[in-house]
Amino acid sequence: MGAFEYHQAEEIRDAFSRHGVRYLFIGKSGAILLGFPDTTQDADLFVERSPKNGEALAAALPELGFDLTAQQAQEIRSGKDFVQLKNGPFDLDLVFAPDGIETFTEAWNRRVEVEGFPVCHPDDIIASKEATNRQKDRESLPRLRSFRDYWKARR
Amino acid sequence: MAIQETRHDTRRSGAIPPEWLEEFEAAARRSLKTRFRYAFIKTHRPVLDDAPFRAFDSMEAYRRWCEENLPDWLGYGRV
Repeated sequence: MGAFEYHQAEEIRDAFSRHGVRYLFIGKSGAILLGFPDTTQDADLFVERSPKNGEALAAALPELGFDLTAQQAQEIRSGKDFVQLKNGPFDLDLVFAPDGIETFTEAWNRRVEVEGFPVCHPDDIIASKEATNRQKDRESLPRLRSFRDYWKARR
Repeated sequence: MAIQETRHDTRRSGAIPPEWLEEFEAAARRSLKTRFRYAFIKTHRPVLDDAPFRAFDSMEAYRRWCEENLPDWLGYGRV
């Protein structure tokens, strides 16, 4: 397994579109899509929790190369709060209930589209990291807030 | 870290540090494809990367698992 690449993000976008999966890039991977210059390892997706979306997601992931057992597919369908996938071509975190964001619909209504990729608004990315309050988030938040200010000023 | 955060927290100062501004502007000049190449890296994180699949019923359970199982230096512990 190597680093997450642009063509793989395109594959997510296209496969999820075919299956009708509702999702948003979130976390540092979302910020990078918005232009934030930093490094990360995982692609983080905020996925809407619903039976229909869970079915669509479980159908789309094998097309991306994720090797899911029947039990793992069921756990994805059922919408656990957090699923970590390392059984495919790149690391993928599926977040169904991110800290600091009330509902998927609210985040969806505030989303930013970047070359067809649906991305959480930087305010939501920051709210999520603030609520999580991990050491690594605390270290990145000041620069991320500055980026949010820069990004808003450019729009 | 606390000193650096105070110095760079734009909620307090309202200004973007010049070195960060330069980085943001340089990134804005790059294509998304190029930004991807610079941004996504692959390293091995002990414990975290050692299982092909994990699912947690709640974010609290995931955070607790991180704190109980991951090395502190990975930074996944809550402050």
